[in-house]
Amino acid sequence: MQELRTSLSKDTTTATSSTMSNSVDHPQLCQWLNAVAIHRDKQAFTCLFKFFASKIHRIAHNKFSNKSMANEVVQDTMSNVWRKAHLFNEAKGAPTTWVYTIMRNVSFDILRKMQANKEDNLSDDIWPLVEAQTTSDKVFGDHLAQHQLLGSIETLPENQQAVVKGFYFMEMSQEQLAKHLNLPLGTIKSRLRLALAKLKTKLGEHHD
Amino acid sequence: MIKHHPKFELLQSFVNGELAASLAAGIAIHSDMCTQCQQKIAQLTEQMAEASFEQAFLHNFIVDDDDDLSQVEALDFDQMIAGITESDEISEVKATVEKLVSFHGQHYALPRSLNNVELGKIAHMGKLSRARLQLDEGEIHSSLLHINPGGSVPEHTHKGFELTVLLAGSFSDEQGDYEAGDFIMLDGRHQHNPVSAQGCLCFTVANDALHFTKGINKLLNPIGGLIY
Repeated sequence: MQELRTSLSKDTTTATSSTMSNSVDHPQLCQWLNAVAIHRDKQAFTCLFKFFASKIHRIAHNKFSNKSMANEVVQDTMSNVWRKAHLFNEAKGAPTTWVYTIMRNVSFDILRKMQANKEDNLSDDIWPLVEAQTTSDKVFGDHLAQHQLLGSIETLPENQQAVVKGFYFMEMSQEQLAKHLNLPLGTIKSRLRLALAKLKTKLGEHHD
Repeated sequence: MIKHHPKFELLQSFVNGELAASLAAGIAIHSDMCTQCQQKIAQLTEQMAEASFEQAFLHNFIVDDDDDLSQVEALDFDQMIAGITESDEISEVKATVEKLVSFHGQHYALPRSLNNVELGKIAHMGKLSRARLQLDEGEIHSSLLHINPGGSVPEHTHKGFELTVLLAGSFSDEQGDYEAGDFIMLDGRHQHNPVSAQGCLCFTVANDALHFTKGINKLLNPIGGLIY
């Protein structure tokens, strides 16, 4: 592990020094991405393509040792750049990092298609391009989620609220709740199911 | 506090997209709960991107043989650009809808990385319940494993590896206590006997059956493959 760390930090030094020598013009790349996002600017896209395509091709060729797959990675990565440019946010990271994650996701899905014969494109779930919520408060994620959940529960019809609260916050079993609320078990089950379906759509909306 | 994290090499392969989907999902689940690893991943991604796009460029000047190749490709590339920009469609981001999974009437939010993975039927074995995740990765099996309060997995070892990411609740073994978010990677050198006093839900990945090591539990060996 120590060895790996050392070799990585060497890489980093070289990477930094190449940045220092201004080999990559990040503001220019950002400007092209924004032009694609806002104006669907084909000229700007061609510039991005010229900058990234041969590099992506070389990396993919090393990875798959196959020219047509390398072309597929270039094609899919650059299509995503064209279609998702509006999702790029320069405040969150360098344009090269953004394109790297797209290329990595595309390669992952292709590899999975080869190895597991699955076309489920899981990469966007594993490495979401858009975060569901801010990552900086993740430590308190539970409290936030709980808070949000509570708010949503308050919007449910009262008979459903009672079941949900009893079930989740007092951790009563469905049988205990049936007894406590003097209702048939089937009613408890269907109220809980209805309430959960509503909560699901409500919480889903918040993740927009 | 989360005490168990993926080791550096795993994070690196994760960032490179080289891990099997099951292991990549395991790291995604852990990093969703662990700011420390989230930061490491962000840093590694940035470094990989630099190494890919900013250094690769120097090699352009060093490797001459590539010149012919890039000229041939330049033609294809023009066609590719035209093809891509033909459509003005943009990709909308789908809102992630949280999915729930329930064991014994207890509901849990499914980790986002598993949102689109098919879940098999739940099999019950005493206080253990297991649902396979249909990732179709050959010898690598991934599951959600639920332990009811007071349940345990008899002492066992593994011929391959066994990854457990604790999603909710807690459990303990000879090495200590674990809590939600812990990323526990074991191999054949480890023997353990996880016990969950309060109950828990885990995401597990293993590439071989469990091998029970003690007394009467050895009789369980034929079902070892059922649990993880």
